[in-house]
Amino acid sequence: MRTIPTASPSASPSTNKRRRKIDAVSIASFIALVVTTFLMLLPLFFMVSTSLKSKKELLKFPPTFLPDSWQWSNYKEIFETLNFGQMYMNSLIIGTLTVVGTLLSSALAAYGFARYRGKGSNLWFMLMLSTMMLPYPAIMIPQFILFSKLNWIDTFLPLIVPAFFGSAYNIFLLRQFFSTLPDELFDAGRMDGCSELRMWWRIALPLSGPALATVAIFAFIYSWNDLLTPVLYLSSSDKFTLPVGMSSFTSSRFRIPPWHLLMVASVLAMLPIVTLFAIAQKRFVEGIVLTGIK
Amino acid sequence: MKNRRIKKTYALLLAFSMLVVLALSGCTGGKSAGEVAPEGKGDSGGSSGEQVTITHYTMDSEDRTFIEKLVPDFEAKHPNIKVRIEKAPYEQFDSKLQTLIAGGKSPDVTSHYGYGGFAEYFNKDMLLDMNDIIKEDGFKASDYSIPDDLMDIYTIKDHVYGIPVNMYVTLMLYNKDMFDAANVPYPPSDYEDKSWTFDKMVEEAKKMTHVSDDIAKTQYGVDFTWSERDMRPLYFGVEPYSQDTWTNGGVPSETHFDSPEVIATYNKLFDLILKDKVSPTTEWSKSVAGQNGDAFVTGKVGMTVSGSWSLAGSNDFPFEVGVAAVPAGGNDKIRSVLFVDPLFILKGSKHPKEAFEWIKYLVSEEVQEKSIDLSGGNPPVNTKAAEAYYKHFEGIDPEDVKKVYEGAVKYGFESYNHLITNYSQINDMFINEMQPIDTGHKTVEEVMPTIQKKVTEIIKR
Amino acid sequence: MTHRESRRQTLYMYLFIAPWLIGFLVFALYPILSSLYYSFTDYDIIHPPKYVGLANYTEMFQDDLFWKSVVVTVRYTFISVPIQLLLALGFALLLNTKIPFRGFFRTAMYFPSMVSGVAMSLLWYWIFNPSIGLFNYVLSWFGISGPSWLMSPDYALYALIIMSFWTVGSGMILFLAGLMSVPASLVEAAKLDGAGRFRIFLNVTLPMISPVLLFQLIMGVIDSFQVFTQAYVMTQGGPNYSTWFYVYNLYTSAFKEYRAGYSSALAWVLLIVVMLFTALIMKFSNRYVHYEGGGRK
Repeated sequence: MRTIPTASPSASPSTNKRRRKIDAVSIASFIALVVTTFLMLLPLFFMVSTSLKSKKELLKFPPTFLPDSWQWSNYKEIFETLNFGQMYMNSLIIGTLTVVGTLLSSALAAYGFARYRGKGSNLWFMLMLSTMMLPYPAIMIPQFILFSKLNWIDTFLPLIVPAFFGSAYNIFLLRQFFSTLPDELFDAGRMDGCSELRMWWRIALPLSGPALATVAIFAFIYSWNDLLTPVLYLSSSDKFTLPVGMSSFTSSRFRIPPWHLLMVASVLAMLPIVTLFAIAQKRFVEGIVLTGIK
Repeated sequence: MKNRRIKKTYALLLAFSMLVVLALSGCTGGKSAGEVAPEGKGDSGGSSGEQVTITHYTMDSEDRTFIEKLVPDFEAKHPNIKVRIEKAPYEQFDSKLQTLIAGGKSPDVTSHYGYGGFAEYFNKDMLLDMNDIIKEDGFKASDYSIPDDLMDIYTIKDHVYGIPVNMYVTLMLYNKDMFDAANVPYPPSDYEDKSWTFDKMVEEAKKMTHVSDDIAKTQYGVDFTWSERDMRPLYFGVEPYSQDTWTNGGVPSETHFDSPEVIATYNKLFDLILKDKVSPTTEWSKSVAGQNGDAFVTGKVGMTVSGSWSLAGSNDFPFEVGVAAVPAGGNDKIRSVLFVDPLFILKGSKHPKEAFEWIKYLVSEEVQEKSIDLSGGNPPVNTKAAEAYYKHFEGIDPEDVKKVYEGAVKYGFESYNHLITNYSQINDMFINEMQPIDTGHKTVEEVMPTIQKKVTEIIKR
Repeated sequence: MTHRESRRQTLYMYLFIAPWLIGFLVFALYPILSSLYYSFTDYDIIHPPKYVGLANYTEMFQDDLFWKSVVVTVRYTFISVPIQLLLALGFALLLNTKIPFRGFFRTAMYFPSMVSGVAMSLLWYWIFNPSIGLFNYVLSWFGISGPSWLMSPDYALYALIIMSFWTVGSGMILFLAGLMSVPASLVEAAKLDGAGRFRIFLNVTLPMISPVLLFQLIMGVIDSFQVFTQAYVMTQGGPNYSTWFYVYNLYTSAFKEYRAGYSSALAWVLLIVVMLFTALIMKFSNRYVHYEGGGRK
């Protein structure tokens, strides 16, 4: 048992001192944050600045910090060089469906692993983890054979359908979160006669807002930036995704890559992710409120 | 206790699944190979009337994918053939090709645009012997103005495995601004000008070299990146691979990388960097131009020896460019490395005859000439189309380009990277093993025995 | 647990994990087992595989490059994973406080994780540029003349390790999500008990986020054992093999050397090693990781 100091004259200087110390720490950490943020935002600066340079200026050494003349027309040129709009749409369709599929299926499976102690659950769990331990190049060929037997080559299906059957990474992640939810909540739910599926929907999901938002972001970024799978499975140009289109810029060993256009594409490609992140940010705040009430 | 049981079950499950696979795999593996050879011939014979689709697999970059624009014209002329262009970026070119073949979706036509070269494809038995088709078709290289010695590159023991489509040569590019500033006369474009030697090049390079602590002010006289590292002794007349390499599909019976002659040639080249200090180190080049970049394009190098593909970007260089002959280095016969890109028909092709029609179309004079503009400056193999190519580069005298090209063909040898088996491994090994010489941590004499040993191992694989 | 209860638990577990289980059987099992089979064969992708027993497995242990790749990869993992975790946790704790511009800082920290790979590698090439790069410029303030990083056999691996810290943002997001689920009431209670900042962290916060920590540790190990793209795009395994990572070696064997059999064997050795690591971490963590509820005790 600790004694809680009641308002006594001797207590006030000590709290005062303490508050000042916290302030010092806060200021120090604030400065640290500002410095790190600067480093983290360098790529943005670099991308935007490069995207506005002319082709000739790209070859300058030492490189210029800001463009000598601002080539806004680069942002028009990208639509003329690549089938940019179409690629953007393709990536958006694939990305959105992947997020929906991943969220639903991973949340279900993770709940199964986290809340029930069934026969063989450990075995399946380890098996699931092990699917992440085989490097992609090792399964590329047999996977291609499989999808080609299903007649899925040159369709979006190999890029979307697997997401609807859960991704090991996200299942593991959500399982960790579901495991931290207190038993009492579910016991109470069971008393009220909730079905298991309903408890998943009404108790587990609402309480895991931040985790679900994280999964949504991760799944989207993964799909959005994925290059290897679309390169392998898509053959018609009108089905290409953004990363595939962008990689064609640096493909030629015989030409100087149009870095400026590549950066234009990179800047534009970031917009959906930033938007998604901004939305998810709000989820984080809500997450606090919800857990606060419980 | 619990954990032990889990592990045991896991092990059991693995063992069981292994059995399943072993039992199943007999059929999966055999089938893809079975599909390959016989079907191809059967199909092509009777398919005169019905429509067939052929796939051309190429690299996804504008200097390769321009062929998409040729397809409508070809299809109009050959109503029974549809052409599909399938593409992959350079980094994924080989892995996708291999996966397509393993998955029974082999393309019909392709080239060696990845890291592997012709010899690799040939030795892995991927390429179709075109002799029968050529005989049936009556194809003659001379009708397409393809020189015989170019045809020979992809002919092994009288069997043709590839039809040349583009010919890049090695040439010298020089920075006119730097020459003017140092008051040095421009190097000649004529290969017969015997005063233009390696030693003279070094002398002139010295006049333009200026090494300073400030990297922005540093400039070098010459960057002598003649071909890949293993081929460079040839420039001085020393052959590191035995002669049978060129006749038996790129498998040398002997290599001589640790011989005193070879070592002497490497010392001569590294002297440019370490002793004469007229050439940049790899590190400096990469600092200035990025990882795959060429320091020459930044205007900090007076002369560079490079592939003719560099011409295509010359409009964008921030200085005036000229082309010159590669100086004579002591090899009377060989001064330029040729990079002749062929078109192959893969063994897995189901319609080799139609594929050949497409190849013929691509090497025809009219299409070769059209392709120069469409591709942004790809050099044709068709000598009649070549005149148009010489005139293609703004700011560079067509007469110089022509002389340099003709000299290169006369004093040319096909690049080893197309001709020697397991080449990408050899090249990787060379880059890694030679790195310490570049930085002065090891001498050529120390490194070459290791290289000789490793080359021997790689070739045996 | 009663018999009936145990059957009920099993039933519901399978119902819930069914989506994954079906996906596993349909999409993952065949490729995984095929690669296992290839690992016992001589398979050049063009010709059908030939059974060679354990030859691929014995060969790798005699291969210099294999051992080089093991050393490089292990060194990378052991240095980068712990530091990444610490940084991610540190920033998460900072940004979980009521600091001004919190939303902006969070977005900024996560920013590098959103950027496409090509843009990142171009940028890093410039940052690590020995003569004009930002990194050596900052070092020069302290009178240090920096090394040539990506172009130096002694420093290239460390350059890639430093690069990996750039994306600690995603780890931070995970920790943040974990920190959000720490009930404020618990922290308040501890404060009332007179516990200091550090104590609260150690006794309240850390146990509550330990499942996330475990997750990140395991995923960190799995991922860094498979580092590939950086080596493929930026250094091609060099200079002088200093970034010849395990999976780079594996990829090279498969698609440059046409030895899919050997490369599959490499993949399975990796799987077994990472599996052991994971099992070890799991076992060790049983004592420390705090799960609030569920049937698991």
